[in-house]
Amino acid sequence: MEEKKSQAYQLIFTIFLVLAFLTLVEYLVSQYLDSMILLLLIAFLKAGLIVNYFMHVYRLWREESH
Amino acid sequence: MSAAATHHDQAHDHADEHGHAHVPTYLETLRANRLGLWLFCISEVFLFVALIVVRFALWGNTRPELDQALGLATTSVLLISSYFMVRAEVAIAHGDRDKFLNSLLVTFVLGVLFLVGVVGFEWGLFGITFGDHELLKPTDGAFGAVFFGMTGIHALHVVSGLFLILMVYINGRRGGYSTERHWGVEACAIYWHYVDVVWVFFYPILYLIGTPVH
Repeated sequence: MEEKKSQAYQLIFTIFLVLAFLTLVEYLVSQYLDSMILLLLIAFLKAGLIVNYFMHVYRLWREESH
Repeated sequence: MSAAATHHDQAHDHADEHGHAHVPTYLETLRANRLGLWLFCISEVFLFVALIVVRFALWGNTRPELDQALGLATTSVLLISSYFMVRAEVAIAHGDRDKFLNSLLVTFVLGVLFLVGVVGFEWGLFGITFGDHELLKPTDGAFGAVFFGMTGIHALHVVSGLFLILMVYINGRRGGYSTERHWGVEACAIYWHYVDVVWVFFYPILYLIGTPVH
């Protein structure tokens, strides 16, 4: 139980760090590369991570409680 | 057929062979609630996509000169608030009541900070500017209309999210949620992350994509 809890906290913190890193990357891309495609790709990647790990979209098609 | 008779027939449809009405279990209700909330989120996608289409139609490959530091700061604040929201959900799911309440409170404060950043500073309500660029006004043609339209609609969602967080916090303090039953927390978290996802697209579209026009 404790291990599961610690894993859950660890996972969300890792995802947060990845999202923070991607935000920094998109800022740098806009400053040095100015690529719209790359910026939109990063945005979709960030949105995918949030929808999957923070919003738990997979719970919609699983017989799962909270 | 009268309305009462129709209602009776519908009720009969849900009854089993012994005539007992089917009472949905918590899990069944939870699944229906989740589906409903996600359908609501999807319906809102049309609104935000329409705003994004308007932005590209009117601005093309240009954008107004906005404060980059402020844009990055507000984006970071909303992202951190999303982390604390999911932390609150994990906490209640594992019985960490104090961590749940503290995380919710931090989420709320960060949400208010985001609003202060966008509405207070970027909209110029405080009359304070950073750097040497002029503040955008709603009357500044297509730039002003699109920027205030997009950030305004998003800010409205942030405000409603803050109300939800406050309601969940008050319910949480009263012991309204348990490890097994906390749909209110999950719903509030989904909505708050949704507001964050919208900003994930609005940030590059408003602040980063296109050539700044002075």
